[in-house]
Amino acid sequence: MLQFLLKRLFYGFLVLLGVITVVFLLFNVLPGDPARMMLGQRADINSIEAINKDLGRDKPLTTQYFNYLNDFSILSIHNISDTNNYWYLDRTKYTSAIKLIPFGNYALILKMPYMRRSYQSKRMVTEIITEAFPKTVLLAGVAMLFAVIIGVIVGVLAAIKKDGFFDRISLVLSAFGMSLPSFFAAILIAWLFAFVLAKYTGLSMFGSMYTVDDFGNGEYLDLKNLILPAFTLGIRPLAVIVELTRSSMLDVLSQDFIRTAKAKGLSPYHIITRHTLKNAMNPVITAVSGWLASLMAGAVFVEYVFDWKGVGVVIVDALEKYDFPVVMGVLLFISIILVIINIFVDILYGMLDPRIRLS
Amino acid sequence: MQRFCFTILCLFLFASCNHPDYKNNTKKVFRYNESAGITSLDPAFSKDQSNIWVCNQLFNGLVQLDEQLKVQPCIASHWSISADGKTYTFTIRKDVYFHKSTIFKDSTRKVVANDFVYSFNRIVDEKIASPGAWIFNYVKKENGKYAFIARNDSILEIKLNQSFPPFLGLLSMQYCSVIPHEAIDFYGKDFRKNPIGTGAFQLKLWKEGVKLVLLKNTNYFEFEDTTRLPYLDAIAITFIIDKQSVFLEFIKGNIDFMSGIDASYKDELLTVNGKLNPKYKNKFQLISQPYLNTEYLAFLMDTSHTELNNNPVKYKAVRQAINYGFDRVKMMRYLRNNIGTPALYGFIPKGLPSFDTVKVKGYDYQPDKSRKLLADAGFANGEGLGDITLSTTASYLDLCKYIQNQLTEIGLKIKIDVNPPATLREMIAKSKIPFFRGSWIADYPDAENYLSLFYSPNFCPIGPNYTHFSNKNFDLIYNKAQNEVNDSIRYNYYNQMDQIIMNEAPVVVLYYDQVLRFVQNNIQGLGSNPMNLLTLKKVKKQ
Repeated sequence: MLQFLLKRLFYGFLVLLGVITVVFLLFNVLPGDPARMMLGQRADINSIEAINKDLGRDKPLTTQYFNYLNDFSILSIHNISDTNNYWYLDRTKYTSAIKLIPFGNYALILKMPYMRRSYQSKRMVTEIITEAFPKTVLLAGVAMLFAVIIGVIVGVLAAIKKDGFFDRISLVLSAFGMSLPSFFAAILIAWLFAFVLAKYTGLSMFGSMYTVDDFGNGEYLDLKNLILPAFTLGIRPLAVIVELTRSSMLDVLSQDFIRTAKAKGLSPYHIITRHTLKNAMNPVITAVSGWLASLMAGAVFVEYVFDWKGVGVVIVDALEKYDFPVVMGVLLFISIILVIINIFVDILYGMLDPRIRLS
Repeated sequence: MQRFCFTILCLFLFASCNHPDYKNNTKKVFRYNESAGITSLDPAFSKDQSNIWVCNQLFNGLVQLDEQLKVQPCIASHWSISADGKTYTFTIRKDVYFHKSTIFKDSTRKVVANDFVYSFNRIVDEKIASPGAWIFNYVKKENGKYAFIARNDSILEIKLNQSFPPFLGLLSMQYCSVIPHEAIDFYGKDFRKNPIGTGAFQLKLWKEGVKLVLLKNTNYFEFEDTTRLPYLDAIAITFIIDKQSVFLEFIKGNIDFMSGIDASYKDELLTVNGKLNPKYKNKFQLISQPYLNTEYLAFLMDTSHTELNNNPVKYKAVRQAINYGFDRVKMMRYLRNNIGTPALYGFIPKGLPSFDTVKVKGYDYQPDKSRKLLADAGFANGEGLGDITLSTTASYLDLCKYIQNQLTEIGLKIKIDVNPPATLREMIAKSKIPFFRGSWIADYPDAENYLSLFYSPNFCPIGPNYTHFSNKNFDLIYNKAQNEVNDSIRYNYYNQMDQIIMNEAPVVVLYYDQVLRFVQNNIQGLGSNPMNLLTLKKVKKQ
């Protein structure tokens, strides 16, 4: 188990290194200058140089690359005496830094990763992520929860009543759900439930996780605003889960051990819940984990339409404005989450199906 | 599992309950939306309209503009300019205080001349890297320091290298707002979300991306008659991105004011002539006036660039033929619902005092003249010219396609290349594109701002001359205008320069933009101005 974890963590480290390298190269190969984006129409050479100096973009590319790695890494090297040195250990940037091994004017430091400040707003990237990410997690989590609960129930029922009316209807609806583009579904659902039927549903077309009153006195959690985006986002995974559960259940139901269970005189309920369902869940978990992981990267269309300012909106906005630290920070954070989810899913496989051994 | 489901259910039931009602009907709150978002409340970064608007409520500078764009006193009660136009001496009011804050131990502090010296030096500080550093390009440097001098607490002196009549207009920009050094010492870069100024409103709460609330500054120094400003109790700014949703909120009356118009609801709100749809007259009003923004297409003029080697736009006749070759009036009617004025005159936009329809003649729709120009240049019906590529961003594709279609009729083949904004900007700045779309919004209300785009020492990347237009006569008049303090003589110079630009055709001016403000009927005192600056201190809500 430990060996497995260490191996996966090493792969995860390589993934992060790959992401940093690719994003860094892309931002420097493509035409576009963040300083120019910050300055707008009045982009004279002096201001561009001042901004590039401030952003550390006046240095050679390799230096910039290693500076970023040094900032992001938990273990890093910093100057500890000269405040004008670029590598100076500035406590406002490198919070909770601990000096490990000093050598001359420099020291090896243990610190929290420093993801820098947004070029555009000068806001800390960690602050942007900690604000946007919970929203995305909540939206993705609730959407998947809705899809899994309804999807598995419908899938199981459809498998039990194979070729019956319910089965046929669920097949048609799931095909419809899979083919419905999310941006269209989002607009349609917003219009129907939050505009036409707004009187009855009491839902609004948009709204964030928190609502603030007009005088700034109160800020409260407004989970009501989550219902429509989560429903919209859940439609596609729901359709997929119904199909997967149904076919996987049919597959398991035709196996010998089910016949044995029936011969033993177990109740149909017991057979389905204890024997069939548990064994039929592996493909569903694969689909759910993959889907959940991709939803963590933000559901751009749905977030835009419902004004749910999660990771998707943040990253599209940052790409448009050429805001390198935000794009890099968010992508790295997403990569870390994906690595963790994958490790977690591998462990879950083993727990559900003892035939799979972690190695 | 059952317990888990129950918890989720409870959570939703809880969420759908009514929230405590914070609405206070006796207090007046002005609500508007910023789809573009606000990136900083630090005036040193007030580059975009959304940041400028909110900074205008939070901060004050030495001077301010009135609705006719005339410079009026603000924190400076009065000022004098030396005869050579190089020294400006301001007298600071003695009754202006910063917002109450914890940095002043829950009290306040009087504004003194040194605060301006500090604030201005911060704008030009390379470490701050403010996008507004250019505004002090004309300020003299003495021993490596900018000549901002506080003679005493109430006298501030600024020395310039040379006379520059629009300088007072520059000082009205939000970059030149006064801030207390204590706030920067305490907050550092996080001053962006902890602004302390002298403005009519002060920050109450900023939940980024959700809401920004400003409350009335009860100690504000300006009065209207005998009443202390502002009238409003609060300003609440939301950040809904989708413009259609904003429109629906405005229709419902949940937003008091909306600026500009989006293509998605343009025809619902406006008639083809750009007037408010009569069915909305009882609900809200439309305030409209010229906006200091010129929309144009531009050519790269510097033939030393290899991009122009075989490019038809290097010929003046071709540039003029393009200018004559499409109907700006129809373009505005069909594509913009007549929001804006077809640019039949110069590059200087309608709304500036030096805009002159008599002295400056531009281009109108004359397809025959266009054909003749091409024929005289040896390209009858566009033969032998090849394709001309016009680079644009997606938001102006409709205009470019219209022009492309009309120019086909005179034999000019235009290819349209759509680029992301960052790429286009970079390529233009590096002079890689021979024909591109651009726009220029006035930084300060003086035509010099527009003409500086054609002054040869301003070739990009040093300055904003993106076309690399160079004309000795133009440069000569530009220098003369810099030293001319008499407005009417200076405006005359501006018109001469504008006419030179039109004759040489480094640009195809499309239209002069228009400010559009939709305001609920219960709002009073919200005027408008050609800079499209939002000033809320005199606004009343019923």
